[in-house]
Amino acid sequence: MRPQDRDLDEEIRGHLALSVKERIERGEDPEAARLAALREFGYVPAIRDSMRSVWYSRWFDAVAALGQEMRVGTRSLLRAKGLAATVIVTLALGIGANAAIFSVVRGVLLRPLVNRGEDRLVYIRQSAPGLGAANTTFSVPEIDDFKSRVTTIAAFGDFSTIDFTMVGFGEPRVVQAGVVGGLFFEVMGLRPVLGRLLNAADDGPDAAGAAVLTHRFWTSSLTSDPRVIGKTIRLGSRTATVVGVLEPSVPYPADTEIIGNVVTSPHHLGATMVTGRTHRMTELFGRLAPGASLEEARAEVTAVHAAMMRAHPEAYSTSGDVRVSVTPLRDQLAAPARTILLVLLAAAAIVFVIACSNVANLILARSVRREGELAVRAALGASNGALRRTLLAESLVLCSAGAVLGVLLARPLVTAVAGFAARFSVRALEVTVDSSLLWVGAGLAMAAAVMLAYVPRLPSTFAATGLGLASGSIRITPGTNRRLRVFAMTQIAFSFVLLAGAGMLLAALVALQTVNTGYNMRQVLAVDVPSRSLGVITAQEMDFYQEVTRRIGELPGVKGVAIGSFVPWRDAGTFGSGSPFAVEGHTPEDGEENPHARLRVVSPGFFAVLGVPMFAGRDFTGDDRRGSELVVIVSQSVAHRLFPNGDALNRKMWWTDPFFGKPQPRRIVGVVADVDDENVVPGPALTIYHPLQQMGVAGRVFVHAADDPYALVPPVTRIIREMSANQPVERAATLEDVRAEVLAPERLNAFVFTGFAGIALLIAVVGVAGVLAFSVSARTREFGVRLAVGLAPRQLLLRVLSEGVSIVAVGILVGAAAGYAFGGVAKSYLENVRLPGALPVLGAAVVLVGAAILASLMPAARASRVDVLQALRSE
Amino acid sequence: MAKTPDDRHLELLQGTLDMLILRTLQWGPQHGHGIGQAIRSRSDDLLRVETGSLYPALHRLEKRGWLKSEWDVSEANQRAKYYRLTAAGKAQLSREQDRWSQLVNAIGRIMNPAENK
Repeated sequence: MRPQDRDLDEEIRGHLALSVKERIERGEDPEAARLAALREFGYVPAIRDSMRSVWYSRWFDAVAALGQEMRVGTRSLLRAKGLAATVIVTLALGIGANAAIFSVVRGVLLRPLVNRGEDRLVYIRQSAPGLGAANTTFSVPEIDDFKSRVTTIAAFGDFSTIDFTMVGFGEPRVVQAGVVGGLFFEVMGLRPVLGRLLNAADDGPDAAGAAVLTHRFWTSSLTSDPRVIGKTIRLGSRTATVVGVLEPSVPYPADTEIIGNVVTSPHHLGATMVTGRTHRMTELFGRLAPGASLEEARAEVTAVHAAMMRAHPEAYSTSGDVRVSVTPLRDQLAAPARTILLVLLAAAAIVFVIACSNVANLILARSVRREGELAVRAALGASNGALRRTLLAESLVLCSAGAVLGVLLARPLVTAVAGFAARFSVRALEVTVDSSLLWVGAGLAMAAAVMLAYVPRLPSTFAATGLGLASGSIRITPGTNRRLRVFAMTQIAFSFVLLAGAGMLLAALVALQTVNTGYNMRQVLAVDVPSRSLGVITAQEMDFYQEVTRRIGELPGVKGVAIGSFVPWRDAGTFGSGSPFAVEGHTPEDGEENPHARLRVVSPGFFAVLGVPMFAGRDFTGDDRRGSELVVIVSQSVAHRLFPNGDALNRKMWWTDPFFGKPQPRRIVGVVADVDDENVVPGPALTIYHPLQQMGVAGRVFVHAADDPYALVPPVTRIIREMSANQPVERAATLEDVRAEVLAPERLNAFVFTGFAGIALLIAVVGVAGVLAFSVSARTREFGVRLAVGLAPRQLLLRVLSEGVSIVAVGILVGAAAGYAFGGVAKSYLENVRLPGALPVLGAAVVLVGAAILASLMPAARASRVDVLQALRSE
Repeated sequence: MAKTPDDRHLELLQGTLDMLILRTLQWGPQHGHGIGQAIRSRSDDLLRVETGSLYPALHRLEKRGWLKSEWDVSEANQRAKYYRLTAAGKAQLSREQDRWSQLVNAIGRIMNPAENK
C-alpha cells in the first residue's frame, strides 16, 4: 500500500515534534530546540523525495503530470468547441473507417478456420487456363487415381453439389445439396452440434440415405428444432434420414442447406459419374499426412496428375494447358477477397492520412493563436519538453475523443463492410465486431496524437524575449504558412488519388450497365421451374412444359412464352465451359483442336421472346421433335468462324465429346445474333441451340410481358401450381434485374469507393477553406493596406481565389505522380490492378478544382470586404 | 546541516543499516525517531544514523515486506508512524546476522592471522 504525499509529510512532522520535545525536556529553549531539530534532520524536501522515490517511479510522475495537463487541455478545448468538434469528427471518420476495415481484413484473411487442424487442410484444384476454365473440378476416376497414388496427403474428402427438389421441410423447394463421400467430414475436421455426421459406413451404393443439415439452415429455417434428427425427407426421387447437424463452419465450396451421402443422388451412382474421366463435378480436399509439407504434397500431386494425363490423353485437352494446384484451404477461401480488401485498407489509410493532415492544419492554426501563451510560459522557465507535453496532452484529449467516436462509428461499419466482402469470400460471413476494433482505434489515435503534438513550432528562446511576448496579436510566420499549405496540398493529393480511383470504378460500372447485351432486358421475365429429373426429361414432363407454355400464353398481357434451360448470367457456369464439336466442310488444321461451343436447349419462339434477332434460316417449330430430323440453330460467331463464306445454313455439325455418345450429325437450320449469357461483359459467343423436344433439357420459363413483368408472377405461379402442386416456381426476375444482381459486387465496389472518396473530398475541401480563412484573417492588415493604396476589392478576391486554386493544382500534380507511382508498385504485387484512364483522372481534377473554388469563395469574399480604416487601426 | 565535528562517531558500514533497523525493531514496534535514538544509545553514541538515510531505508524495507507500518499517537501526543517487524523481516534478520558474523569472522582471520591458528 503506497503512502500518500500527506503521509510522508506527517511522518516527518512527527519526527520533528519528537525531536523538539526531547530537546525541550533536556532544558533547551523551545525556539532554539525547533531550529536545532530542523538542522539535525536535514533538507526536508530532499529527504521527502528520497522517501517518495522508493514507492513512485519517474514514469508514474510523468504520467500523473500528463494527466494534470490533460485536465487543463480539456478545459481549454471546451473554450474552443467548434474547433474541437471539427477535429474530433474528422479523426473519428479516419479512425472508424480504418478500424472497421481492419476488423474485416483480420476476420477474412488472418483468422484460423474452425476446422480441427486447419493448417493441414489443403484444397486441390484442376484448371485449364487454355480454355478459360479456372476450376474444372475433378471426375471420380481422377479422384480414385489420387487416392491410390498420393502418399503425402493422408486422406481425401470429396464434395459435389447437385440440385434436388426437397420435400419435407415446409414448401417443396429446389435446394442445392452437397453430396459427399464417407471421409469428407473426417478430412475437413468438422464436428456435429447434434446427432452425428456422415462417416465411412454411409459411403457406397448400399448404404441407407442419410443427410446432415448445415447449422445455418437448422437455426434459420428450422428454429433449431432438435426433433429433426431421425426425420425422413424426400430428395428428388430418393429419401434420406436426417442424422445430424453440422457445427457452424465456412460454407465452402458451396453454401448448401443439406449435405447427403452418395446414395441420395442417383446421378452419383450412375456409370457416367463413376467411370467418366471427363465427367468433372467434384471438389477435392485433402489432409496432409503427418510430417509431409505443403511443398512435398504439391510436387507429388503434380507428378501424379502428369502421369494421369499421359495415361489418358483423350481426357485432357492439349490446348487447355490442364494443370493442378494445391493450396492451403484458408488461403483458398480468402483469395478472391484479398485484392479488394487490401485496396479498401489502402483507401481507409488514405482517408486517415487526409484526416490527420486536416487536423494538423487546424491544430497548427490554433497554436499560432496560442503562440503568445506559449512564449509567456517559455519565458517563465517552462522547458521545451514541458511545452511539448502541454501540446501532447491536448492532442491526446482530442484523439481519444476521436477514437471513441470512431469506434462507435466502426461498429455498424463492420457489418456493412463484412456484408460487402461476403460477395467475395464466404469467410466474411463470420466476421464479428471484436476487441481488435478497440486496439486499432486506440493505436491510430496514439499515432495521430504524437504526430499532432510535434506539428506546431515552439517559440524559440530568442523569440520568447522579443516579439512573441510584446504583442498579443497573431503573427503568421512564413514557416507556419508553408506548413499549412503543405498539409492542405497533402489532403488534395490523396483525395485526388481516391477520386480518380472512384471515378475509374464508376466509369467501368457505367460502361457495364449501358452495354448492349442483345436481349430484351426490361420486358422479359425469367422464372425457374425446375424439372423433377436431372438431365433429360420424361415425355410426361415435356407435355407439362408444353401445357405451361400454352396456358401462360393465354394470360392477358403476355406477348410470348418460351422454355429454355439456362437463365442468362444467373446460371453461368452450370453447363460447363463449352464442348468440342465438328462441322462438315471444316477440317481443323494440324495441332488445332475442335472448336468449343456452348450448348443451349430452347423451345420454339425462344429467340422472339428474348428479343434475339434471327439473321438467316428459320426458328425451331413444333415439328422439330424426337424422331424427326436432328436440327440446330447456331450463333453468328459459329457461322462466321467456321463458314467464312456465309454458307452455314443446311450444313451438318456434331458434338465430339464422348459424353454425347456416338456423334450424331445435326443440320443447321438457322443463324441468330450472338448473345453472351455467361459473362456480364459480352464477348463473342459460340453457341449452338437445340430444340427442346430433341434434347429434353428444360427448367426455365421465359415470359415476354406487354406491361409490368412482375404483375405476371402471381398468375404464372398459380397456373403452374394448378397443374402440379409440388412444382417449385422460383426466382422470377426480369433479365435486367438478373444482370443487376450479378453486377452487384461491381456496383458495391464503386459505391464503397465513392463513399471513401466523398469523405476524403469533404475533409479536403474543409481543409483548404480553413487554411484560406485563417490566412485571410491573419492578413487583414495587409489587405487593408492594399485596399488603401488603391487595389480594387475584385482583384483582392481573385488573388485569394487563385491562392486556393494554386494549392489544389499543386496537390493534383503531386497526387497524380504519387498515384501512378503507387499504382505501378501495387500492380507488381496484386492481380487485377488497373490504372484509371484519362476520363476519370480529368473528372477527378475538375471536381477538385471546382470544390476548391467553392471553398475559397467565402474567405475571398471576406478579404474583399475588409474595412480599410478598421484594418489599419487594428494593431 | 552543520554537524559538530566529533571524532568519536563512526561511519556506518555500507549495507549494515538495514540489519541494524531490523535488529532494533526486534524489541518491539517503534517510530523512525525512536529507531534512530535506539541505534545511537545502544552503540554508546558511537553510531549515528542520518535521517536522510534512515527514512528511505525504512520505506525500502516496508516495500519489500519486511516491515509493516501503522499510525499511532506517540509520547509527544503527535501522530507518528510505527514500524513493526513481519515474519519475513525476522527471517531476513537472521539471514543478515549470519552473513554479518561470517564477514566479521573472515575479516578477523585476515587481520589477526595468529589468533585464529
